[in-house]
Amino acid sequence: MPVVPLKFRPHQDGHFLFADDAGGYFKSDQAFLRRYAHDRLTSGDLEFLKGNGHAYDAVGDLAYSGFEHRFAERLYLPREMDYVILVPTLRCNLACGYCQVSRVNEATRGFDWDDTTVEAVIGFLDSLSARKIKVEFQGGEPLLRLDVITRIRDFCRQRFDACEIVVCTNLQEVSDAAWHVLGGDGIFVSTSLDGNRITHEKQRTITPGKTDQFFSNLDLAVSRLGSEKVSALPTIDPHNAPSPQEVIETFLNYDIRSIYLRPINYQGFARKKFDARGSAELWNKYHASFIDALVEHNWSSEIPVEEYYFVHCLRRVLRSGHNGHVDLRNPNIVGHSYVVIDYDGKIYPTDEARMVTRVGQFDLSMGDVFSGISAETINRLNAEALNNFHPDCVHCPYQAFCGVDLVDDISRYGRIDMPKHMTDFCQRHTSIFDRIFAMIYSDDPKIKKTLALWAGTPHFDPLLAKVHR
Amino acid sequence: MINLRLKIDPLPIDEPLIVRLQGPGLPARSHHDAVLAEVGPDRREYDLNGFSFGVYAGSDEVIDGDVLMMMPGETTAHRLIRAGSAHNTLLVTEQCDQLCVMCSQPPKKYHADLFEQFTVAASLAPHGAMIGVSGGEPLLHKERLFCMLEEVKARRPDVGFHILTNAQHFSRADLTRLQQLDHARVLWGVPLYSATPENHDRIVGKPGAFAKLEHGLSILMRAGASLELRTVVMQQNWQDLPALADYVSTRLSFLTVWAIMQLERIGYARMNWKETFRDTSRNFDQIARAVDIVTARGLKALLYNFPLCSVPPAYQDYAPSTISDWKRKYLDFCLNCRAKKTCGGFFQWYSHPEGFASLGPL
Ligand code: SF4
Ligand code: SF4
Repeated sequence: MPVVPLKFRPHQDGHFLFADDAGGYFKSDQAFLRRYAHDRLTSGDLEFLKGNGHAYDAVGDLAYSGFEHRFAERLYLPREMDYVILVPTLRCNLACGYCQVSRVNEATRGFDWDDTTVEAVIGFLDSLSARKIKVEFQGGEPLLRLDVITRIRDFCRQRFDACEIVVCTNLQEVSDAAWHVLGGDGIFVSTSLDGNRITHEKQRTITPGKTDQFFSNLDLAVSRLGSEKVSALPTIDPHNAPSPQEVIETFLNYDIRSIYLRPINYQGFARKKFDARGSAELWNKYHASFIDALVEHNWSSEIPVEEYYFVHCLRRVLRSGHNGHVDLRNPNIVGHSYVVIDYDGKIYPTDEARMVTRVGQFDLSMGDVFSGISAETINRLNAEALNNFHPDCVHCPYQAFCGVDLVDDISRYGRIDMPKHMTDFCQRHTSIFDRIFAMIYSDDPKIKKTLALWAGTPHFDPLLAKVHR
Repeated sequence: MINLRLKIDPLPIDEPLIVRLQGPGLPARSHHDAVLAEVGPDRREYDLNGFSFGVYAGSDEVIDGDVLMMMPGETTAHRLIRAGSAHNTLLVTEQCDQLCVMCSQPPKKYHADLFEQFTVAASLAPHGAMIGVSGGEPLLHKERLFCMLEEVKARRPDVGFHILTNAQHFSRADLTRLQQLDHARVLWGVPLYSATPENHDRIVGKPGAFAKLEHGLSILMRAGASLELRTVVMQQNWQDLPALADYVSTRLSFLTVWAIMQLERIGYARMNWKETFRDTSRNFDQIARAVDIVTARGLKALLYNFPLCSVPPAYQDYAPSTISDWKRKYLDFCLNCRAKKTCGGFFQWYSHPEGFASLGPL
């Protein structure tokens, strides 16, 4: 009976975690590993492997086809473009420490869309074939260009069957007119809330007056728009992080139950100022303590809370086809289903590609709204954006769940051929998946409760944590 | 109870005839359309291409747009398609090659072929209708069935089919034809009772059925078809459910939905009720596990034919109302239940003394 290739990795209890290319997994021991490696599998082994979807009788039988289907579903296939990130201005009314690249002072000239650019962007949107569109305004501070937001909104409403508009704002200065726009149908607010008041002030608002202003605007946003229309991202500096409990409490104050922790991302200039290498370890530690805190919280609280990215990774472990999030995909084909349009009309595949270009590392732009998309460079990059055949990832049991981020590699190391385990991306994901499997194979009822909540099921069944002996 | 037959003053026909009853003031749009000529208190008079006939229906009964089949010499007509209902099923054959312990429609030896009439009827259905195709085993007449699907698709691409089949009769040669059907409008409902081949075979009364079923399912998968996997919960497969869920998530992740179903007390199920019915209102554990497993795996499970109050609260969202309108009833205690709108109630032929022990209004 043919057995599909199994990749393995020591599990924390001294046994091994095994997984195949379609993401089927189980735990077993050294003795099984030896039998597997020496091709001396017993009939009991084979029966288990077949039951768990790692073996088949003949090519094309149901076990084989089922494997193929799960494998194929794990590959991300770009859809038609239906998501556009717009940067109508780089000007901002705050000067956060880690954001020097993507902003200029509020009064600076020459970093805004002019009328020609606005019209060209509209022409670009008009050329899309999608019936539904998601538009995200970033900056700078996009509320400084309320005129552009309304213009694009009006256009999208009449041009598409459905449109969703996200305004990523620092909620520092919100005029009455801006509140009116934000309260509109299909408009969502995304803001930054760096964990707690002290950290937010240190990283963003600097003075108590401005901090008050932000928090009162956040209060207003939640009460006027409803918490379901407001999301907030905490940017965490692991060197200087608020305690997980404080972060959870702060977010619950605003009835936000999904927290997407973002490691502070030093870019270009900022990266020169702070040391970015080797920061993964510190981050992983913080992130792990955050998960601990959530497990505790969920055990005793009526209101469950999740860490968004961890839950996304957990679901990618459990399921095929969970490719909805741009930050973790394989192959990570960029520049197809969404793009970023910068203040000067240039088009980029991702926000990070925009940064890489801006600090002069590489030109990762892909044309502009005036003359159209030219994706040659990006397509060359896309050709490498696959982990299935990567010489390191092929040995990794997490490969099927994981993704690739070549733009991140370029931005950090100036190259895409670093040994994987030396990259920040790999270190962060290895840590997350180690943690996920530690939880899946844990007997702790607290952990099982949180796992069930995060997997979206009433209970977490033991058949999802198979051990073969 | 809703009538699936209507009394008529018949037309002198010597072949089955399909007619669509047009509503007041509507002209004929095809030569199958009967125009409403006169409405009496319990009888309506229609004109079909110059011939008139009568249909008996109370004044409160809505039959506009219904498609009827009249048989030579019969004084009642089959109401093949009720325009106002989402539960229309064509019984295309009564022959079957399995003999399931709980079959609700026990097979018969002979086949009366009405595919031609059914093809016409389906082409006259209201816009966007989803029509059930059932048996017996429809695929015993595979060529006829495929022709019907293809013809209706060509004439009425908006009409869909939900076809119940034991999937024993697909072969590789069917791949191309299967692929060409509209997967968004054709849903194959296929039963699987256990991941242990012997248990499945015993339940369906056919040795080797499991192996054939696996083959058939792999063909549906390759064709990109939409699958509704159907598992009736019984004493015979109660212990098998978690392992079946595991099997479903490794083999059948292409499915559209996994329907976990309660028993319908009719046909063999009525005969074998005592040895077959599993009272899931008392103990729901194995179903809970099955739902947990496939849900975590990203698949969609639904509970069909479960009275809502028999399902633990955490799983009630998985239990839509599924019993067809014309087969459905409620019991006395449903009267003051606040879930009556979302609950599908019971089959007409459900007998409470032999049924669920632990029910009550929500
Ligand atoms: S990047 Fe690292 S964690 Fe991800 S698949 Fe490759 S080796 Fe594994
Ligand atoms: S009491 Fe009746 S209507 Fe209410 S949930 Fe039970 S069966 Fe359904």
